[in-house]
Amino acid sequence: MSAQLEISNLQKRFGGLVAVAGVSFSLAPGEVVGLLGPNGSGKTTVLNMISGALPCDGGTVRVGGADITRLKPHQVAKHGVARTFQLVRPLPTLNVAENVLLSLAFGKHRHWGKEARDRVEEKLEFVGLAGRGQEKVGNLTYIDQKRMEMARALASEPDLLLLDEWLAGLNPSELRIGIELVQHLQGQGMTVLLVEHIMEAVRALCSRCIVMSAGEKIAEGPSAEVLQEPAVIKAYLGDDHA
Amino acid sequence: MTMKTSHAFLLAAAVLALLAAAPLLIPDYWTGVLLGMTGYVTLATAWAMFSGPTRYVSLATVAFFGVGAYTVAVLNETLPYPLVLLCAGGIGMVMALIVGFSTLRLAGVYFVIFTFGLAELVRQTVSWWEVNITYTMGRYVFLPFEGRHIYWQLLALAAATFLISWGIGRSRIGLALKALGDDETVAAHAGVDVTRIKLLLFVISSTIITLVGAIQAPRWTYIEPSIVFNPTVSFMTLIMALLGGAMRLWGPLVGAIPLFLLFEWLSVSFPDHFSIILGLLFILIVFVMPEGVLAKIETLRKGSPK
Ligand SMILES: Nc1ncnc2c1ncn2[C@@H]1O[C@H](COP(=O)(O)OP(=O)(O)OP(=O)(O)O)[C@@H](O)[C@H]1O
Ligand SMILES: [Mg+2]
Repeated sequence: MSAQLEISNLQKRFGGLVAVAGVSFSLAPGEVVGLLGPNGSGKTTVLNMISGALPCDGGTVRVGGADITRLKPHQVAKHGVARTFQLVRPLPTLNVAENVLLSLAFGKHRHWGKEARDRVEEKLEFVGLAGRGQEKVGNLTYIDQKRMEMARALASEPDLLLLDEWLAGLNPSELRIGIELVQHLQGQGMTVLLVEHIMEAVRALCSRCIVMSAGEKIAEGPSAEVLQEPAVIKAYLGDDHA
Repeated sequence: MTMKTSHAFLLAAAVLALLAAAPLLIPDYWTGVLLGMTGYVTLATAWAMFSGPTRYVSLATVAFFGVGAYTVAVLNETLPYPLVLLCAGGIGMVMALIVGFSTLRLAGVYFVIFTFGLAELVRQTVSWWEVNITYTMGRYVFLPFEGRHIYWQLLALAAATFLISWGIGRSRIGLALKALGDDETVAAHAGVDVTRIKLLLFVISSTIITLVGAIQAPRWTYIEPSIVFNPTVSFMTLIMALLGGAMRLWGPLVGAIPLFLLFEWLSVSFPDHFSIILGLLFILIVFVMPEGVLAKIETLRKGSPK
Protein backbone atom coordinates (compact mmCIF):
# COMPACT_ATOMS: atom_id res chain seq x y z
CA MET A 1 0.00 0.00 0.00
CA SER A 2 1.42 3.40 -0.89
CA ALA A 3 2.07 5.96 1.82
CA GLN A 4 -0.50 8.70 2.39
CA LEU A 5 2.32 11.19 2.79
CA GLU A 6 5.91 10.69 1.82
CA ILE A 7 8.50 13.42 2.03
CA SER A 8 12.09 12.83 1.11
CA ASN A 9 15.13 14.98 1.60
CA LEU A 10 13.07 18.14 2.06
CA GLN A 11 15.17 21.31 2.30
CA LYS A 12 14.56 24.96 3.01
CA ARG A 13 16.90 27.89 3.54
CA PHE A 14 16.01 31.43 4.59
CA GLY A 15 19.02 33.46 3.50
CA GLY A 16 21.90 31.97 5.43
CA LEU A 17 19.67 30.05 7.84
CA VAL A 18 19.05 26.39 7.06
CA ALA A 19 15.54 25.88 8.42
CA VAL A 20 15.03 22.35 7.10
CA ALA A 21 18.10 20.30 6.19
CA GLY A 22 17.04 17.22 4.27
CA VAL A 23 14.16 15.70 6.22
CA SER A 24 12.49 12.46 5.14
CA PHE A 25 9.59 10.50 6.59
CA SER A 26 6.32 8.97 5.57
CA LEU A 27 2.83 8.38 6.98
CA ALA A 28 0.74 5.32 6.24
CA PRO A 29 -2.99 5.86 5.60
CA GLY A 30 -4.87 6.28 8.86
CA GLU A 31 -1.80 6.98 10.94
CA VAL A 32 -1.62 9.85 13.44
CA VAL A 33 2.00 10.87 13.75
CA GLY A 34 3.55 13.53 15.97
CA LEU A 35 6.12 15.98 14.65
CA LEU A 36 8.02 17.32 17.63
CA GLY A 37 10.99 19.53 18.26
CA PRO A 38 12.05 22.62 20.16
CA ASN A 39 11.10 26.13 19.02
CA GLY A 40 12.58 27.05 15.69
CA SER A 41 13.49 23.50 14.76
CA GLY A 42 11.65 23.73 11.44
CA LYS A 43 8.32 21.95 12.08
CA THR A 44 6.09 24.69 10.69
CA THR A 45 8.44 25.10 7.74
CA VAL A 46 8.00 21.39 6.91
CA LEU A 47 4.22 21.83 7.08
CA ASN A 48 4.43 24.90 4.88
CA MET A 49 6.36 23.00 2.25
CA ILE A 50 3.87 20.13 2.29
CA SER A 51 0.88 22.45 1.96
CA GLY A 52 2.53 24.51 -0.77
CA ALA A 53 2.70 27.70 1.30
CA LEU A 54 6.49 27.74 0.80
CA PRO A 55 8.40 26.45 -2.22
CA CYS A 56 10.92 23.71 -1.43
CA ASP A 57 14.62 24.31 -2.08
CA GLY A 58 15.08 20.58 -2.54
CA GLY A 59 13.44 17.21 -2.03
CA THR A 60 10.00 15.88 -2.88
CA VAL A 61 6.55 15.67 -1.36
CA ARG A 62 4.20 12.87 -2.39
CA VAL A 63 0.58 12.53 -1.34
CA GLY A 64 -1.21 9.27 -2.06
CA GLY A 65 1.52 8.49 -4.58
CA ALA A 66 1.22 11.79 -6.51
CA ASP A 67 4.13 14.21 -6.63
CA ILE A 68 2.87 17.54 -5.27
CA THR A 69 6.25 19.15 -4.62
CA ARG A 70 5.80 22.12 -6.92
CA LEU A 71 2.07 22.65 -6.58
CA LYS A 72 0.47 25.81 -5.24
CA PRO A 73 -1.62 25.66 -2.04
CA HIS A 74 -4.96 25.55 -3.86
CA GLN A 75 -3.76 22.63 -5.96
CA VAL A 76 -2.42 20.83 -2.90
CA ALA A 77 -5.84 21.30 -1.28
CA LYS A 78 -7.45 19.52 -4.22
CA HIS A 79 -5.09 16.59 -3.62
CA GLY A 80 -6.83 16.11 -0.29
CA VAL A 81 -4.49 17.96 2.03
CA ALA A 82 -5.88 20.38 4.62
CA ARG A 83 -4.23 22.25 7.44
CA THR A 84 -4.70 24.52 10.41
CA PHE A 85 -2.36 27.36 11.30
CA GLN A 86 -0.13 27.77 14.33
CA LEU A 87 -1.80 31.12 15.05
CA VAL A 88 -5.50 30.80 14.29
CA ARG A 89 -6.43 32.59 11.11
CA PRO A 90 -10.19 33.16 10.98
CA LEU A 91 -11.53 35.19 8.07
CA PRO A 92 -13.22 38.12 9.87
CA THR A 93 -15.32 39.37 6.93
CA LEU A 94 -17.06 36.00 6.77
CA ASN A 95 -19.25 34.56 9.48
CA VAL A 96 -18.55 31.15 11.02
CA ALA A 97 -20.61 29.23 8.47
CA GLU A 98 -19.07 31.09 5.52
CA ASN A 99 -15.57 30.34 6.80
CA VAL A 100 -16.42 26.67 6.60
CA LEU A 101 -18.41 27.00 3.38
CA LEU A 102 -15.31 28.37 1.64
CA SER A 103 -13.50 25.04 1.88
CA LEU A 104 -16.57 23.15 0.73
CA ALA A 105 -17.05 25.45 -2.24
CA PHE A 106 -13.45 25.16 -3.37
CA GLY A 107 -12.56 21.70 -2.10
CA LYS A 108 -12.36 18.52 -4.11
CA HIS A 109 -16.11 18.27 -4.67
CA ARG A 110 -16.96 21.95 -5.04
CA HIS A 111 -20.21 21.83 -3.08
CA TRP A 112 -22.59 24.78 -3.31
CA GLY A 113 -26.18 25.67 -2.49
CA LYS A 114 -28.38 23.72 -0.10
CA GLU A 115 -26.19 20.65 -0.10
CA ALA A 116 -23.17 22.75 0.91
CA ARG A 117 -25.14 24.45 3.69
CA ASP A 118 -26.13 21.06 5.11
CA ARG A 119 -22.55 19.93 5.08
CA VAL A 120 -21.42 23.12 6.80
CA GLU A 121 -23.84 22.38 9.62
CA GLU A 122 -22.53 18.82 9.76
CA LYS A 123 -18.93 20.01 10.13
CA LEU A 124 -19.88 22.61 12.72
CA GLU A 125 -21.70 19.97 14.70
CA PHE A 126 -18.68 17.68 14.53
CA VAL A 127 -16.37 20.27 16.10
CA GLY A 128 -18.98 21.36 18.67
CA LEU A 129 -20.20 24.57 17.05
CA ALA A 130 -23.68 23.37 16.13
CA GLY A 131 -26.10 26.20 15.39
CA ARG A 132 -23.47 28.92 15.66
CA GLY A 133 -22.89 29.43 11.95
CA GLN A 134 -24.30 32.94 11.83
CA GLU A 135 -21.99 34.34 14.50
CA LYS A 136 -19.11 36.65 13.67
CA VAL A 137 -15.77 34.90 14.02
CA GLY A 138 -14.49 37.89 15.95
CA ASN A 139 -16.93 37.09 18.75
CA LEU A 140 -15.77 33.50 19.17
CA THR A 141 -13.60 32.47 22.10
CA TYR A 142 -10.13 31.19 21.37
CA ILE A 143 -11.08 27.52 21.52
CA ASP A 144 -14.12 28.15 19.35
CA GLN A 145 -11.93 29.85 16.76
CA LYS A 146 -9.73 26.78 16.82
CA ARG A 147 -12.80 24.61 16.41
CA MET A 148 -13.92 26.70 13.49
CA GLU A 149 -10.51 26.39 11.88
CA MET A 150 -10.71 22.63 12.27
CA ALA A 151 -14.18 22.62 10.70
CA ARG A 152 -12.82 24.70 7.83
CA ALA A 153 -9.97 22.25 7.30
CA LEU A 154 -12.30 19.26 7.43
CA ALA A 155 -14.75 20.91 5.04
CA SER A 156 -12.36 20.44 2.14
CA GLU A 157 -12.81 16.71 2.80
CA PRO A 158 -9.13 15.89 3.12
CA ASP A 159 -7.37 12.55 3.34
CA LEU A 160 -4.45 14.13 5.12
CA LEU A 161 -4.72 16.69 7.88
CA LEU A 162 -1.81 18.86 9.00
CA LEU A 163 -2.32 20.29 12.47
CA ASP A 164 0.16 22.96 13.58
CA GLU A 165 -0.09 23.11 17.38
CA TRP A 166 -3.82 22.98 17.14
CA LEU A 167 -4.04 22.05 20.82
CA ALA A 168 -1.77 24.83 22.08
CA GLY A 169 -3.24 27.47 24.37
CA LEU A 170 -6.19 25.40 25.56
CA ASN A 171 -6.97 24.95 29.24
CA PRO A 172 -6.97 21.39 30.63
CA SER A 173 -10.66 20.68 30.07
CA GLU A 174 -10.55 22.19 26.58
CA LEU A 175 -7.46 20.12 25.88
CA ARG A 176 -9.39 16.97 26.72
CA ILE A 177 -12.13 17.97 24.31
CA GLY A 178 -9.55 18.74 21.64
CA ILE A 179 -7.83 15.39 22.07
CA GLU A 180 -11.15 13.58 21.84
CA LEU A 181 -11.91 15.40 18.62
CA VAL A 182 -8.68 14.26 17.02
CA GLN A 183 -9.31 10.74 18.32
CA HIS A 184 -12.68 10.88 16.65
CA LEU A 185 -11.00 11.73 13.35
CA GLN A 186 -8.54 8.94 13.95
CA GLY A 187 -11.50 6.61 14.33
CA GLN A 188 -12.75 7.72 10.93
CA GLY A 189 -9.45 6.76 9.37
CA MET A 190 -8.01 10.23 8.81
CA THR A 191 -4.25 10.50 8.40
CA VAL A 192 -2.91 13.26 10.64
CA LEU A 193 0.48 14.92 10.97
CA LEU A 194 0.38 16.58 14.36
CA VAL A 195 2.92 19.26 15.25
CA GLU A 196 2.70 19.47 19.01
CA HIS A 197 4.54 20.52 22.15
CA ILE A 198 2.04 19.11 24.64
CA MET A 199 3.34 15.68 25.63
CA GLU A 200 0.02 14.60 27.11
CA ALA A 201 -1.57 15.06 23.68
CA VAL A 202 1.27 13.32 21.88
CA ARG A 203 1.06 10.32 24.18
CA ALA A 204 -2.71 10.12 23.82
CA LEU A 205 -2.82 10.48 20.06
CA CYS A 206 0.38 9.44 18.36
CA SER A 207 1.56 5.89 18.07
CA ARG A 208 4.62 7.19 16.33
CA CYS A 209 6.72 10.37 16.53
CA ILE A 210 9.28 12.22 14.50
CA VAL A 211 11.57 14.63 16.31
CA MET A 212 13.37 17.54 14.67
CA SER A 213 16.12 19.74 15.97
CA ALA A 214 17.79 22.61 14.15
CA GLY A 215 16.27 21.56 10.84
CA GLU A 216 17.21 17.91 11.03
CA LYS A 217 15.33 14.79 11.93
CA ILE A 218 17.02 13.43 15.06
CA ALA A 219 14.69 10.61 16.03
CA GLU A 220 11.75 8.59 14.80
CA GLY A 221 9.79 5.67 16.24
CA PRO A 222 7.08 4.65 18.69
CA SER A 223 6.23 7.63 20.91
CA ALA A 224 7.04 5.99 24.23
CA GLU A 225 10.53 5.03 23.07
CA VAL A 226 11.38 8.17 21.15
CA LEU A 227 10.57 10.44 24.06
CA GLN A 228 13.10 8.55 26.21
CA GLU A 229 15.99 8.88 23.76
CA PRO A 230 18.93 10.92 25.09
CA ALA A 231 19.24 12.91 21.87
CA VAL A 232 15.60 13.97 22.16
CA ILE A 233 15.86 14.92 25.80
CA LYS A 234 19.02 16.84 25.04
CA ALA A 235 17.41 18.73 22.18
CA TYR A 236 14.47 19.72 24.36
CA LEU A 237 16.20 20.42 27.65
CA GLY A 238 19.81 21.24 26.76
CA ASP A 239 23.08 19.40 27.42
CA ASP A 240 22.91 19.31 31.20
CA HIS A 241 20.03 16.88 31.29
CA ALA A 242 21.35 14.34 28.81
CA MET B 1 -35.66 32.78 -6.54
CA THR B 2 -37.27 33.79 -3.26
CA MET B 3 -40.22 36.14 -2.84
CA LYS B 4 -37.93 38.80 -1.49
CA THR B 5 -35.54 38.77 -4.41
CA SER B 6 -38.34 38.73 -6.96
CA HIS B 7 -39.87 41.77 -5.27
CA ALA B 8 -36.49 43.47 -5.31
CA PHE B 9 -36.19 42.73 -9.02
CA LEU B 10 -39.62 44.16 -9.75
CA LEU B 11 -38.75 47.30 -7.84
CA ALA B 12 -35.40 47.60 -9.65
CA ALA B 13 -37.13 47.18 -13.02
CA ALA B 14 -39.65 49.89 -12.14
CA VAL B 15 -36.93 52.31 -11.06
CA LEU B 16 -34.99 51.53 -14.20
CA ALA B 17 -38.03 52.23 -16.39
CA LEU B 18 -38.59 55.51 -14.60
CA LEU B 19 -34.96 56.51 -15.06
CA ALA B 20 -35.11 55.57 -18.72
CA ALA B 21 -38.20 57.76 -19.21
CA ALA B 22 -36.68 60.72 -17.37
CA PRO B 23 -34.98 62.46 -20.35
CA LEU B 24 -38.33 62.72 -22.06
CA LEU B 25 -39.74 64.62 -19.08
CA ILE B 26 -36.91 66.80 -17.81
CA PRO B 27 -34.90 69.68 -19.34
CA ASP B 28 -31.73 68.79 -21.26
CA TYR B 29 -29.51 70.28 -18.57
CA TRP B 30 -30.79 67.73 -16.06
CA THR B 31 -30.40 64.90 -18.53
CA GLY B 32 -26.77 65.93 -18.69
CA VAL B 33 -26.50 65.76 -14.90
CA LEU B 34 -28.22 62.39 -14.87
CA LEU B 35 -25.83 61.20 -17.55
CA GLY B 36 -22.72 62.21 -15.63
CA MET B 37 -24.14 60.71 -12.46
CA THR B 38 -24.94 57.40 -14.13
CA GLY B 39 -21.39 57.34 -15.47
CA TYR B 40 -19.91 57.73 -12.01
CA VAL B 41 -22.35 55.28 -10.40
CA THR B 42 -21.19 52.71 -12.94
CA LEU B 43 -17.52 53.56 -12.47
CA ALA B 44 -17.77 53.35 -8.69
CA THR B 45 -19.75 50.11 -8.75
CA ALA B 46 -17.34 48.50 -11.21
CA TRP B 47 -14.36 49.74 -9.20
CA ALA B 48 -15.80 48.32 -5.97
CA MET B 49 -16.47 44.97 -7.60
CA PHE B 50 -12.75 44.30 -7.56
CA SER B 51 -11.25 46.74 -5.07
CA GLY B 52 -13.94 46.40 -2.39
CA PRO B 53 -13.52 42.80 -1.32
CA THR B 54 -9.87 42.39 -2.35
CA ARG B 55 -8.81 45.75 -0.86
CA TYR B 56 -6.49 46.31 -3.79
CA VAL B 57 -6.94 50.05 -4.11
CA SER B 58 -6.69 50.81 -7.81
CA LEU B 59 -5.96 54.25 -9.23
CA ALA B 60 -5.94 52.87 -12.75
CA THR B 61 -9.60 53.76 -13.33
CA VAL B 62 -8.80 56.62 -15.66
CA ALA B 63 -6.30 54.54 -17.61
CA PHE B 64 -9.11 52.24 -18.72
CA PHE B 65 -11.69 55.01 -18.95
CA GLY B 66 -9.38 57.05 -21.18
CA VAL B 67 -8.45 54.11 -23.37
CA GLY B 68 -12.17 53.47 -23.91
CA ALA B 69 -12.77 57.07 -24.92
CA TYR B 70 -9.71 57.15 -27.16
CA THR B 71 -10.65 53.95 -28.92
CA VAL B 72 -13.95 55.55 -29.89
CA ALA B 73 -12.17 58.73 -30.99
CA VAL B 74 -9.81 56.77 -33.23
CA LEU B 75 -12.29 54.30 -34.70
CA ASN B 76 -15.58 56.24 -34.86
CA GLU B 77 -15.20 57.17 -38.52
CA THR B 78 -13.99 53.78 -39.75
CA LEU B 79 -16.23 51.24 -38.02
CA PRO B 80 -19.95 50.97 -37.24
CA TYR B 81 -20.65 52.12 -33.70
CA PRO B 82 -21.49 48.72 -32.13
CA LEU B 83 -18.18 47.37 -33.44
CA VAL B 84 -16.38 50.38 -32.03
CA LEU B 85 -17.80 49.62 -28.59
CA LEU B 86 -16.85 45.98 -28.98
CA CYS B 87 -13.28 46.98 -29.86
CA ALA B 88 -13.10 49.31 -26.88
CA GLY B 89 -14.30 46.53 -24.55
CA GLY B 90 -11.83 44.09 -26.11
CA ILE B 91 -8.89 46.47 -25.77
CA GLY B 92 -9.82 47.18 -22.14
CA MET B 93 -10.02 43.47 -21.47
CA VAL B 94 -6.63 42.69 -22.98
CA MET B 95 -5.03 45.62 -21.21
CA ALA B 96 -6.53 44.45 -17.90
CA LEU B 97 -5.20 40.95 -18.47
CA ILE B 98 -1.68 42.25 -19.06
CA VAL B 99 -1.77 44.69 -16.17
CA GLY B 100 -3.37 42.11 -13.90
CA PHE B 101 -0.83 39.43 -14.69
CA SER B 102 2.06 41.73 -13.96
CA THR B 103 0.72 43.51 -10.87
CA LEU B 104 -1.68 41.43 -8.87
CA ARG B 105 1.26 39.96 -6.99
CA LEU B 106 2.07 43.41 -5.65
CA ALA B 107 0.59 44.01 -2.27
CA GLY B 108 -0.83 47.08 -0.57
CA VAL B 109 0.74 50.40 -1.31
CA TYR B 110 2.87 49.09 -4.19
CA PHE B 111 -0.25 48.23 -6.09
CA VAL B 112 -1.70 51.70 -5.47
CA ILE B 113 1.45 53.37 -6.73
CA PHE B 114 1.73 51.08 -9.71
CA THR B 115 -1.83 51.72 -10.83
CA PHE B 116 -1.35 55.47 -10.46
CA GLY B 117 1.83 55.22 -12.49
CA LEU B 118 0.05 53.13 -15.08
CA ALA B 119 -2.54 55.83 -15.69
CA GLU B 120 0.21 58.40 -16.22
CA LEU B 121 2.16 56.03 -18.45
CA VAL B 122 -0.84 55.36 -20.66
CA ARG B 123 -1.57 59.07 -20.95
CA GLN B 124 2.05 59.90 -21.86
CA THR B 125 2.21 57.04 -24.34
CA VAL B 126 -0.97 58.14 -26.08
CA SER B 127 0.25 61.75 -26.22
CA TRP B 128 3.62 60.69 -27.59
CA TRP B 129 2.00 58.46 -30.18
CA GLU B 130 -0.36 61.18 -31.37
CA VAL B 131 2.39 63.79 -31.60
CA ASN B 132 5.13 61.67 -33.16
CA ILE B 133 3.39 58.95 -35.10
CA THR B 134 -0.04 60.11 -36.20
CA TYR B 135 0.66 63.87 -36.04
CA THR B 136 -2.73 64.59 -34.46
CA MET B 137 -3.19 66.77 -31.42
CA GLY B 138 -6.67 65.85 -30.33
CA ARG B 139 -9.41 64.14 -32.21
CA TYR B 140 -13.04 64.78 -33.06
CA VAL B 141 -15.83 62.38 -32.29
CA PHE B 142 -18.70 62.79 -34.69
CA LEU B 143 -21.50 60.50 -33.71
CA PRO B 144 -25.16 61.39 -34.11
CA PHE B 145 -25.89 61.11 -30.41
CA GLU B 146 -27.67 63.53 -28.18
CA GLY B 147 -27.27 63.53 -24.42
CA ARG B 148 -30.21 61.23 -23.87
CA HIS B 149 -28.84 58.59 -26.27
CA ILE B 150 -25.60 58.46 -24.37
CA TYR B 151 -27.53 58.41 -21.12
CA TRP B 152 -29.60 55.41 -22.20
CA GLN B 153 -26.51 53.49 -23.13
CA LEU B 154 -24.91 54.29 -19.79
CA LEU B 155 -28.09 53.31 -17.97
CA ALA B 156 -28.08 49.93 -19.68
CA LEU B 157 -24.43 49.46 -18.76
CA ALA B 158 -25.15 50.50 -15.17
CA ALA B 159 -27.99 47.97 -14.94
CA ALA B 160 -25.75 45.24 -16.35
CA THR B 161 -23.02 46.19 -13.89
CA PHE B 162 -25.39 45.89 -10.95
CA LEU B 163 -26.63 42.55 -12.20
CA ILE B 164 -23.08 41.23 -12.54
CA SER B 165 -22.10 42.56 -9.14
CA TRP B 166 -25.19 41.04 -7.55
CA GLY B 167 -24.54 37.70 -9.24
CA ILE B 168 -20.91 37.64 -8.13
CA GLY B 169 -21.92 38.49 -4.58
CA ARG B 170 -24.13 35.42 -4.42
CA SER B 171 -21.72 33.05 -6.15
CA ARG B 172 -18.79 31.12 -4.77
CA ILE B 173 -16.54 33.65 -6.51
CA GLY B 174 -17.98 36.34 -4.26
CA LEU B 175 -17.21 34.23 -1.22
CA ALA B 176 -13.67 33.60 -2.44
CA LEU B 177 -13.15 37.33 -3.05
CA LYS B 178 -14.12 38.25 0.48
CA ALA B 179 -11.97 35.46 1.84
CA LEU B 180 -8.87 36.45 -0.08
CA GLY B 181 -9.40 40.06 0.92
CA ASP B 182 -9.11 38.90 4.53
CA ASP B 183 -6.24 36.47 4.13
CA GLU B 184 -4.90 35.22 0.82
CA THR B 185 -2.96 32.37 2.42
CA VAL B 186 -6.01 30.94 4.14
CA ALA B 187 -8.12 31.31 1.00
CA ALA B 188 -5.47 29.52 -1.06
CA HIS B 189 -5.29 26.66 1.43
CA ALA B 190 -9.04 26.31 1.27
CA GLY B 191 -8.64 25.61 -2.45
CA VAL B 192 -9.14 29.07 -3.94
CA ASP B 193 -7.00 29.85 -6.97
CA VAL B 194 -6.29 33.31 -5.65
CA THR B 195 -4.45 34.67 -8.68
CA ARG B 196 -7.10 33.55 -11.11
CA ILE B 197 -9.99 35.02 -9.16
CA LYS B 198 -8.26 38.35 -8.68
CA LEU B 199 -7.43 38.47 -12.36
CA LEU B 200 -10.97 37.55 -13.37
CA LEU B 201 -12.49 40.31 -11.25
CA PHE B 202 -9.91 42.86 -12.32
CA VAL B 203 -10.71 42.11 -15.96
CA ILE B 204 -14.49 42.32 -15.49
CA SER B 205 -14.19 45.57 -13.52
CA SER B 206 -11.73 47.15 -15.95
CA THR B 207 -13.74 46.20 -19.00
CA ILE B 208 -16.83 47.91 -17.60
CA ILE B 209 -14.75 51.00 -16.78
CA THR B 210 -13.38 51.03 -20.34
CA LEU B 211 -16.92 50.88 -21.68
CA VAL B 212 -17.99 53.84 -19.54
CA GLY B 213 -15.21 55.87 -21.17
CA ALA B 214 -16.17 54.63 -24.62
CA ILE B 215 -19.86 55.41 -24.26
CA GLN B 216 -19.17 58.87 -22.84
CA ALA B 217 -16.68 59.79 -25.59
CA PRO B 218 -19.22 61.32 -28.01
CA ARG B 219 -20.15 63.79 -25.30
CA TRP B 220 -16.90 65.71 -25.56
CA THR B 221 -16.89 66.01 -29.37
CA TYR B 222 -13.23 66.99 -29.07
CA ILE B 223 -10.88 64.64 -27.23
CA GLU B 224 -7.27 64.94 -26.17
CA PRO B 225 -5.21 63.00 -23.62
CA SER B 226 -5.37 65.62 -20.88
CA ILE B 227 -9.18 65.52 -20.98
CA VAL B 228 -9.86 61.79 -20.94
CA PHE B 229 -6.86 60.78 -18.83
CA ASN B 230 -7.56 63.25 -16.06
CA PRO B 231 -6.53 61.56 -12.77
CA THR B 232 -9.44 63.25 -10.98
CA VAL B 233 -11.66 60.55 -12.49
CA SER B 234 -9.73 57.85 -10.58
CA PHE B 235 -9.86 59.77 -7.33
CA MET B 236 -13.55 60.62 -7.61
CA THR B 237 -14.44 57.01 -8.35
CA LEU B 238 -12.43 55.85 -5.36
CA ILE B 239 -13.87 58.38 -2.95
CA MET B 240 -17.45 57.69 -4.07
CA ALA B 241 -17.07 53.96 -3.55
CA LEU B 242 -15.45 54.51 -0.16
CA LEU B 243 -18.10 56.95 0.99
CA GLY B 244 -20.94 54.56 0.31
CA GLY B 245 -18.99 51.43 1.25
CA ALA B 246 -17.07 49.38 -1.27
CA MET B 247 -18.05 46.05 0.29
CA ARG B 248 -21.75 46.40 -0.44
CA LEU B 249 -23.70 46.17 -3.66
CA TRP B 250 -25.45 49.51 -3.14
CA GLY B 251 -22.55 51.25 -1.41
CA PRO B 252 -20.94 52.86 -4.48
CA LEU B 253 -24.32 54.14 -5.67
CA VAL B 254 -25.09 55.67 -2.28
CA GLY B 255 -21.71 57.39 -2.36
CA ALA B 256 -21.71 58.42 -6.02
CA ILE B 257 -25.01 60.29 -6.19
CA PRO B 258 -24.46 62.93 -3.47
CA LEU B 259 -20.76 63.33 -4.26
CA PHE B 260 -21.41 63.77 -7.96
CA LEU B 261 -23.94 66.51 -7.26
CA LEU B 262 -21.57 68.10 -4.77
CA PHE B 263 -18.67 68.02 -7.25
CA GLU B 264 -20.87 69.50 -9.96
CA TRP B 265 -21.78 72.37 -7.70
CA LEU B 266 -18.21 72.85 -6.44
CA SER B 267 -16.66 72.83 -9.89
CA VAL B 268 -19.11 75.50 -11.00
CA SER B 269 -18.96 77.61 -7.83
CA PHE B 270 -15.30 77.21 -6.87
CA PRO B 271 -13.45 76.17 -10.03
CA ASP B 272 -10.09 77.30 -8.63
CA HIS B 273 -10.28 75.45 -5.34
CA PHE B 274 -11.91 72.31 -6.60
CA SER B 275 -8.87 70.04 -6.13
CA ILE B 276 -8.20 71.25 -2.62
CA ILE B 277 -11.79 70.67 -1.56
CA LEU B 278 -11.70 67.25 -3.19
CA GLY B 279 -8.58 66.38 -1.22
CA LEU B 280 -10.03 67.56 2.07
CA LEU B 281 -13.21 65.60 1.48
CA PHE B 282 -11.17 62.55 0.76
CA ILE B 283 -9.34 62.78 4.06
CA LEU B 284 -12.55 63.47 5.95
CA ILE B 285 -14.34 60.43 4.53
CA VAL B 286 -11.45 58.07 5.21
CA PHE B 287 -11.18 59.29 8.80
CA VAL B 288 -14.83 59.50 9.72
CA MET B 289 -16.25 56.55 7.83
CA PRO B 290 -13.56 54.14 6.69
CA GLU B 291 -16.22 51.45 6.14
CA GLY B 292 -18.65 53.72 4.35
CA VAL B 293 -22.04 55.24 5.05
CA LEU B 294 -24.04 52.03 4.79
CA ALA B 295 -21.91 50.26 7.39
CA LYS B 296 -22.17 53.33 9.62
CA ILE B 297 -25.95 53.34 9.40
CA GLU B 298 -26.04 49.64 10.16
CA THR B 299 -23.98 49.98 13.31
CA LEU B 300 -25.97 52.99 14.40
CA ARG B 301 -29.18 51.05 13.96
CA LYS B 302 -27.86 48.12 15.94
CA GLY B 303 -26.84 50.66 18.57
CA SER B 304 -23.48 49.03 19.24
CA PRO B 305 -20.52 51.22 18.35
CA LYS B 306 -18.33 48.18 17.70
N1 LIG C 1 9.36 33.02 6.40
C1 LIG C 1 10.52 32.94 7.07
N2 LIG C 1 11.53 33.77 6.80
C2 LIG C 1 12.70 33.69 7.48
N3 LIG C 1 12.95 32.78 8.44
C3 LIG C 1 11.97 31.93 8.77
C4 LIG C 1 10.69 31.97 8.10
N4 LIG C 1 9.91 30.99 8.62
C5 LIG C 1 10.66 30.39 9.57
N5 LIG C 1 11.89 30.94 9.66
C6 LIG C 1 12.96 30.50 10.53
O1 LIG C 1 13.17 29.13 10.30
C7 LIG C 1 13.39 28.44 11.50
C8 LIG C 1 12.37 27.35 11.67
O2 LIG C 1 11.12 27.95 11.93
P1 LIG C 1 9.78 27.14 12.11
O3 LIG C 1 8.70 28.13 12.22
O4 LIG C 1 9.67 26.11 11.07
O5 LIG C 1 10.03 26.46 13.53
P2 LIG C 1 9.03 25.60 14.41
O6 LIG C 1 9.70 24.29 14.64
O7 LIG C 1 7.68 25.58 13.83
O8 LIG C 1 9.06 26.43 15.76
P3 LIG C 1 7.89 26.70 16.82
O9 LIG C 1 7.81 25.53 17.71
O10 LIG C 1 8.36 27.93 17.54
O11 LIG C 1 6.64 26.94 16.05
C9 LIG C 1 13.36 29.49 12.61
O12 LIG C 1 14.69 29.86 12.88
C10 LIG C 1 12.60 30.61 12.01
O13 LIG C 1 13.02 31.85 12.53
MG1 LIG D 1 5.85 26.29 14.36
